[in-house]
Amino acid sequence: MRIGVFICHCGENIGRTVDCPSVAKACANFSGVVHAEDYKYMCSDPGQNLIKQAIKEKNLDAVVVGSCSPHMHEKTFRKACSDAGINPYLVEMANLREHCSWIHDDVPLATKKAIDLVRMLVEKVKFNEPLIPIRVPVTKRALVIGGGISGIQASLDIANAGYEVVLVEKEPSIGGHMSQLSETFPTLDCSQCILTPRMVEVYQHPRIKLMSYSEVENVEGFIGNFSVTIRKKARSVKDELCTGCGLCVQKCPIKKVALSDFDEGLATRPAMYVPFPQAVPNIPVIDRSVCTYFKTGKCQLCKKVCGREAIDFEQQDQFIKEDVGAIIVATGYKLYTIDKKPDDNPIKGYGEYGYGKYKNVINGLQFERIASASGPSSGEMIRPSDKTVPKKIVFIQCVGSRDESKGFSYCSKICCMYTAKHAMLYKHKVHDGEAYVFYMDIRAGGKNYDEFVRRAIEEDGVKYIRGRVSKIFEENGKLIVKGEDTIAGVRVEIDADMVVLATAMTAQSDSSKLAQTLSVSYDKYGFINEAHPKLKPVETSTGGIFIAGACNAPRDIPDSVSMASAAAAKALVLFGSDVLEREPVVAKVNEATCAGCFYCQKVCAYNAVEQKEIKDRQGNVIKVVAYVNSGLCQGCGTCNATCPSKSIELLGFKDDQIYAQINSFAEVF
Amino acid sequence: METEKFEPKIVAFVCNWCTYTGADLAGTSRLKQQTNARLIRVPCTGRIDPVFIIKAFEKGADGVLVSGCHPNDCHYNTGNFHARRRWIFFRQLLDFVGIDSSRLYFSWVSASEGKKWVDVVDGVINSVREKGPFNGYKKLNKEIEIPVK
Amino acid sequence: MKQLIDISKELFESKKVGYIIGYAEDKFKRVKPFVAHSSSDAERFVFSNYSVNNLAVYLTRLLKPKESKIGIVAKGCDIKSIIALIQENQIKREDVIIIGVNCNGVVNQIDEQFSKENTAIKCKYCQVRTPAHYDYLVGEIKDVDLPEDKNFAIMQKLESMNAEERWNFWEAEFEKCVKCYACRQVCPLCYCEQCIVDKSMPRWIDSSATVKGNFAWNMIRAFHLSGRCIGCNECERACPADIPLSLLNRKMGMVAMNEFNYRHGTDINQPTLIGNYNVNDKEDFIM
Repeated sequence: MRIGVFICHCGENIGRTVDCPSVAKACANFSGVVHAEDYKYMCSDPGQNLIKQAIKEKNLDAVVVGSCSPHMHEKTFRKACSDAGINPYLVEMANLREHCSWIHDDVPLATKKAIDLVRMLVEKVKFNEPLIPIRVPVTKRALVIGGGISGIQASLDIANAGYEVVLVEKEPSIGGHMSQLSETFPTLDCSQCILTPRMVEVYQHPRIKLMSYSEVENVEGFIGNFSVTIRKKARSVKDELCTGCGLCVQKCPIKKVALSDFDEGLATRPAMYVPFPQAVPNIPVIDRSVCTYFKTGKCQLCKKVCGREAIDFEQQDQFIKEDVGAIIVATGYKLYTIDKKPDDNPIKGYGEYGYGKYKNVINGLQFERIASASGPSSGEMIRPSDKTVPKKIVFIQCVGSRDESKGFSYCSKICCMYTAKHAMLYKHKVHDGEAYVFYMDIRAGGKNYDEFVRRAIEEDGVKYIRGRVSKIFEENGKLIVKGEDTIAGVRVEIDADMVVLATAMTAQSDSSKLAQTLSVSYDKYGFINEAHPKLKPVETSTGGIFIAGACNAPRDIPDSVSMASAAAAKALVLFGSDVLEREPVVAKVNEATCAGCFYCQKVCAYNAVEQKEIKDRQGNVIKVVAYVNSGLCQGCGTCNATCPSKSIELLGFKDDQIYAQINSFAEVF
Repeated sequence: METEKFEPKIVAFVCNWCTYTGADLAGTSRLKQQTNARLIRVPCTGRIDPVFIIKAFEKGADGVLVSGCHPNDCHYNTGNFHARRRWIFFRQLLDFVGIDSSRLYFSWVSASEGKKWVDVVDGVINSVREKGPFNGYKKLNKEIEIPVK
Repeated sequence: MKQLIDISKELFESKKVGYIIGYAEDKFKRVKPFVAHSSSDAERFVFSNYSVNNLAVYLTRLLKPKESKIGIVAKGCDIKSIIALIQENQIKREDVIIIGVNCNGVVNQIDEQFSKENTAIKCKYCQVRTPAHYDYLVGEIKDVDLPEDKNFAIMQKLESMNAEERWNFWEAEFEKCVKCYACRQVCPLCYCEQCIVDKSMPRWIDSSATVKGNFAWNMIRAFHLSGRCIGCNECERACPADIPLSLLNRKMGMVAMNEFNYRHGTDINQPTLIGNYNVNDKEDFIM
């Protein structure tokens, strides 16, 4: 190999402490070096031209530049050499400035060190191989999983930028939890009023393919090239024929057969139903577990009244394949259910609060439904048991959150705000009512948030008690709430008409299953992990898969919307080019020596190691070896160090390249 | 004949994203340190195989320093966790076999810890200087009589 | 060993296996590994205190199953090797039929009579005399006179030495090594198709029998087996130079146990020690 060595003075920066001419002279004597020179400013145009000239004249195969840190100018010198015809990965830089001249004073010692540093890289470059950047095609379509406010925002952003989006939502309607809310903090905007226009925009958008009542079954492929199988569940209604007239729902004889999920169990719904009047799409669904036809074969009233013959009892789940380039996970949250749980469940219940036992102990979403104008009581503030107006309500914050013993050590972020909101809504509707809030801390960090809480206390007269509640029990139709006021230092007992619990915000129950389908990492609570908590909040460590909203951590609406737009922007960056070019510093397997133990697969943080069958001519599998998906590999080399036989190597930092650097010690010092 | 004062030879394996950048910061801040260390850049501490360390000692290093990103900050998420587990075994193995594991140093130095890097390097150099040269392999190398040019 | 022979014959007759690896006596009545291909072969199966060999090593080298399953006669420690191999994707659980044997200890020196003094030291600490995993179980547990642990004193002495003394101890031992690689060949977990010592580009470990190369070889082998070695000590038994390799294995096993509470080969569903990490792994040695 013919190596050229170029030592830069960097003006006085290196030149003052390192005797560059003698470094160049010493390097000229290294075996393999056919050209060595020094110059004032190697990175400048004339400097780069010196290198290009030497490459041409001396027929160089590789170049070592002794100058500043590679973090500074590696790209510069690689491009210069590439222009002159050398593969950029045959160019190495010795750090003679940050790691030598700037940190030492003694000229002879610094010069000797500079010679050593260059020598080590000359030895390394002898084992460098030319590497070609990896080009991966990009399918410019996105998949958004989850049709809540985050999913809707992300879909609109990507679709408005001109790309197709497939939006998959597992419920019969999009809208998520935000459609269940009555008003949102801190403005007390009507939730449905700001949400429904967006929902309609999604439905009508020419580039958004809305697949409601559907779930993601399987995901294969990698960044820019995902192949997703979606299960479109059977509504028993042909959506292309249905006009949303609602006659079938009206006529369905099984009126009160099931608890409405949308109303959080506070109301019933028929077997044939639309989850809420503003549902998008406005197409009903038959709940086959309670429908008379599916149980006994009789009825068929809905089919009879349907003017469009849209009812199809034979309809089956369909499996649809979609090819996409980016996936955004926006599956949102679920509220922790706090009734008593079996002993082996790591999430413990709060049996002492009587949730599930007493009808008037409810959670936050149930309160939203009661307060909502479209809810089971049309917005009248009445309690579930006897439909009377509660005169005293107790709100309890931190139910489950910030409590190691119950399984959730984190803060659910939104409860302080929505509890204040609930208390305010109650006071606005029941002027002579008393509202008490048991709290540990008040977390109101967002814009106008603290002012909102102050309003609840100062204008609406909500009484805040700092302390926890130990027990709730029923006596003479009242709920006795036993707690403490730690500021006053007394025990407190309140005979409430209704109790609202601000329960912990957790990930959806099937969140870990979805995460495994997507091969993204998730934490012990089921929240999907971001790639870097500070600098990569919307990416996951799996390339091409982004996250938005509460599926990652408890989050309120403005933050979820911001995150959704950010995730959409990341997807759009991906779609910005037809081909994705990646650094070729990736791992490669020597299939002849690989024994198929797959320890490399275990240590890979990016799921880049796959299994590959080696077959003989007859098609029999001889052995199963590791195979690196160079689209996913990020080039850390942990696999290389873990493999006992070194059958997997990191190109650019292979064993022989590192050995060469260590070996140069024998002649050095 | 004057005997030369012993100057330790230190090999440092550093990860590109944190420690190497931290060392760059030490340079940009002109923080002075001793000249005994030679850095070998790897993408991640996960890439560091204990054979490198044995080879460094065989080739005449008196001390070896391995440095990377703090746990949870690894640029590649988990590389330093796997490396750490390896080191726990390797140190005990070295000790058991009679190579003083205190000649092998580990540190977490982030990209913003230029001062810490200087303290670590100088600390390692001073500490090894006090211990003296590592002679174990010198005798064994003579056995093979590698001719030196 | 009528039970063992009957089960083997039944496996052959019902065509459940292609061959069974077990132990048989040669014409000098020495117990050796033996591969039975038929019911009549199976007549020769024995199991005694002289069944020292870890037969799991044959599952990796030549006898990878093609169309049929393999049966294997294995004692508790050998079965740990089999579990380890399954965890490391070298063999599938459904491809191997384990005939577990209740073991009453094996000899240390195979040419001499089995006795309390001539029992392998590993048997003293054995917790799997009745194996933990098996498809069939044969043999009876009898009372065994456990041997004295001669290595315990040596380990204690090593712990009390300083670094230089330890180096001298091991230098004296590794001087004897001739790089025959018997330790590697007999180890079931040394199944790499190309061992690191055979790599010449780069040459990490000298393959010639210099003390430097011997140090590197034995250290790296112990390191590659850390968290994976199950402690059958076949390597020490096979070493023609009588190097006390079981001390190295024992030390690494102790590290796995003390630092991570982990024993390889005991629970097939447990995540492996190497290849996984815990955010709380100790780092008191890291600055």
